[in-house]
Amino acid sequence: MRLLTHNMLASNVRGVTTGYPLKLEATKWCTKEVELNADFIRGVLPKIDWRALVAATRALDLPELLPEEQPPEEEIFAEGAADVEGSAIRRIHHALLEIHIQEGSLVCPESSRCFPIDKGIPNMMLHEDEV
Amino acid sequence: MAHPALLHSHSVLPSTSPARGRRHCASQPAPLFPGSRRRRRNRPALRPMASSTAQAPPGLKEGIAGLYDESSGVWESIWGDHMHHGFYDSGEAASMADHRRAQIRMIEEALAFAAVPDDPAKRPKTIVDVGCGIGGSSRYLAKKYGAQCNGITLSPVQAERGNAIAEDQGLSDKVSLQVADALEQPFPDGQFDLVWSMESGEHMPDKRKFVSELARVAAPGATIIIVTWCHRNLEPSESSLKPDELNLLRRICDAYYLPDWCSPSDYVNIAKSLSLEDIKTADWSENVAPFWPAVIRSALTWKGITSLLKSGWKTIRGALVMPLMIEGYKKGLIKFTIITCRKPGAA
Repeated sequence: MRLLTHNMLASNVRGVTTGYPLKLEATKWCTKEVELNADFIRGVLPKIDWRALVAATRALDLPELLPEEQPPEEEIFAEGAADVEGSAIRRIHHALLEIHIQEGSLVCPESSRCFPIDKGIPNMMLHEDEV
Repeated sequence: MAHPALLHSHSVLPSTSPARGRRHCASQPAPLFPGSRRRRRNRPALRPMASSTAQAPPGLKEGIAGLYDESSGVWESIWGDHMHHGFYDSGEAASMADHRRAQIRMIEEALAFAAVPDDPAKRPKTIVDVGCGIGGSSRYLAKKYGAQCNGITLSPVQAERGNAIAEDQGLSDKVSLQVADALEQPFPDGQFDLVWSMESGEHMPDKRKFVSELARVAAPGATIIIVTWCHRNLEPSESSLKPDELNLLRRICDAYYLPDWCSPSDYVNIAKSLSLEDIKTADWSENVAPFWPAVIRSALTWKGITSLLKSGWKTIRGALVMPLMIEGYKKGLIKFTIITCRKPGAA
């Protein structure tokens, strides 16, 4: 599971009003390099909740990776930024797409319900009594 | 090409979000998926209207997951990574060689019917594939639009296989499949520009909840596309399907872990009640009918037979029931239907 996916998931437990963002607890994760596609990032960035993304990186003990506040778009998508080591777009790309959570769980912030991540796949199925 | 029956309606009711239950929820961690159980056979008689129950019949979800866990591999080895019907011109002869092209045509015809924009500024950037199988549609749509696509399936085997294929195709940054229930989608409201359900609606025991979840996760102005099996619309004088029709439907449903069917009108009425706009529907039954004789022929090939024999009873039963689909189609009972609409609000 990438952090892009984590950013899009919410707790679906009945009765929960604040089911987002899910707290990330990773017991096994790795990084895999992926080619940076600025157009793709430009397309998904409006849908990204920045705080949730930052919280996820902090949960992985990567406090230096992203700033607290989302940098302005002109900075992220500046000409040539993708070629600059440590640029905003490269950090965002790394956070969203290059980190893979293989094992762990996603925890509902309100109900504390744990959704397991197994072989990189979150299982968001609820029990009969939770529906 | 079939002459589709087109119902065109425009709703301007104020939008309301579906009420969410307020029951306190358990907080124990979930055991992983329990594995398949046979569905109980003493079910009430099939009713033609969409079920209003909020919960799946016992064993339905496990049955669905078990069916696809078991049969996905066989299907993929014979038919490839799309698990939906192909679109043919009416009366065209189908062959396995054509089928992948026809399956892709089905996706393109659905997108065209719904008028999903191709323009780089307006095309969908985030997509959800509800009932994604091994992610055939997810990968196709993600590639076509350069978009991010989340798929959900009840089958852990499918999710894993689909993610692996995405990785092989260099699409794993764009496509991500999760195990989740379409009736309780694990996404916040209003997230997706395109909400896609290709031949998964048949599995949903509560059609209203299914459509309301599609609407909930759709962003303002987003397009919702449902391609699904329905039974024929009832005549004004009818309160239910005829007994022999109900019987045929029951036999089809039992083999494929399908709960009660509804009609295209039922879907349209549900969409209207959810204040969805620009509702359109068409009957594409003639465009998929060429497929079943081809499936039967493939099942009778050496590869087909040996694959089936290696897979479980669920898969074999699914294949044996194929003639029932042909019978249902010839009787005008089962309809391959597309329903598209738009979430109100500016895109």
